[in-house]
Amino acid sequence: MGKTDIIDAPSPALGTQVPEGTDLIEWYYEHGCSDGLPVVPPVPGKIAEAIAALGGEPGRLVARVPPRWGGLTREVLAINMVMAGCRPEYAPVVEAAMLALCEAPFNLNGVQATTHMASPLLVVNGPVRGAIGMNAGCNVFGSGNRANATIGRALRLILLNVGGGWPGLLDKSTLGHPGKYTYCIAENEEASPFAPYHVERGYRAEDSTVFVLAAEPPHSVTNHFANDARGVLDSVCSAMSTICNNNAVSAGHCAVVLGPEHAATIAKSGWKRHDIRHYLWAHSGNRWGDLYGNGRYGKVYNRNLPVWYKREPDARTPIVPSPDNIHLFVAGGEAGRFSAFIPGWGHMSSPVLRGIAGAQPKVGPECVDGTCAV
Amino acid sequence: MPNLIPVYDPRGVVEAAPRVISPRVKKLDGLRVGLLDNTKWNANKLLRGVRDRLAAAHALGGTNYYRKESFAAAAVPALLDRIAAENDIVLTAIGD
Repeated sequence: MGKTDIIDAPSPALGTQVPEGTDLIEWYYEHGCSDGLPVVPPVPGKIAEAIAALGGEPGRLVARVPPRWGGLTREVLAINMVMAGCRPEYAPVVEAAMLALCEAPFNLNGVQATTHMASPLLVVNGPVRGAIGMNAGCNVFGSGNRANATIGRALRLILLNVGGGWPGLLDKSTLGHPGKYTYCIAENEEASPFAPYHVERGYRAEDSTVFVLAAEPPHSVTNHFANDARGVLDSVCSAMSTICNNNAVSAGHCAVVLGPEHAATIAKSGWKRHDIRHYLWAHSGNRWGDLYGNGRYGKVYNRNLPVWYKREPDARTPIVPSPDNIHLFVAGGEAGRFSAFIPGWGHMSSPVLRGIAGAQPKVGPECVDGTCAV
Repeated sequence: MPNLIPVYDPRGVVEAAPRVISPRVKKLDGLRVGLLDNTKWNANKLLRGVRDRLAAAHALGGTNYYRKESFAAAAVPALLDRIAAENDIVLTAIGD
């Protein structure tokens, strides 16, 4: 957590002062510093606690946040955390997530400004989930858990306040989506029959990580009849194989969230993460001709897709270029035969996995579910 | 006189120097016009259409067409330098 004994006093912005008794919720509304919901007024004591949880040094720059390129110092991060309703112990997760969002491959500048509806999805792995009380179970994408709700909201407030992603100004999204208020979950590692996501990607189980993906909302996958891996995954493939999700026309990365019941059925067939991702990749996709009106509008090349895709009417067009571009998680309640497909924005943004508190992926052979890659 | 309390700015500081916009041109005759295609679906059609109309209405000094590598990323500095060196004015468009 990086807590220190010294609590740095935050400095009021630009010497702004208001009469005691001012309704600060309304003040922040009037100054355009809300996501539309009332914010928690950032009072000195709460800001100081959040700064201390970040390791002190309020003026230390964490990142510059595009497209406004505002300076996100620890103090500014703490202010936004308090406004979102975060507890101080959420600080390492929020900070790691902001660092992930500001890594170049994520292209936050584009994600913030696009007309597409994408919003950063944050998935947390490792022991920090339990330590701060995150929900990985029932209603995982929904309301009701303070950590999930306010960590995701803190990210959005920073993207608005520091990044300047104000709708209609620098955020040109035609529709947006509800995840632009908060879009943060934890993997249900305890209910998963598979290795956790971050372990598949080279971290240790005892590490904690954040994963960010510029994402559309989740699309429900219902399957109450299949009792084996193929049957369940064929339904996921069906959800993936629409011609109008952004991966279908812009490649990139996507996520699949298996509900625990579906995951258990798949595991019963002896399948591992590797098998699942490859099956999903091999058996999803669209007919090229279907993507572009079967020639009604002339010949379409679409340079957003890899050059090696066959551009012939009956050719299969993958949803993403590789099984490695399908990011697989297990989350949700233990009852219910549901999963979710979450399309990404496309090749314009790459997801980022980042260790919390300096965790780094281990070097050497990657061993997941008993299989080691050489 | 009521007591005053501090409020905290959640926006962070932007450390960028403001830049002045180039003077607007009065007429296009004799000017070299650059067109920067951002590679969106219809940018090509839109910009070529504008180019043809401008060329029909003005005695341009020439037109040059350029494409960014990705519509979601800024043009690389080398391309911007080239455009600046080869043109007097530049048009760009989204063409979504």
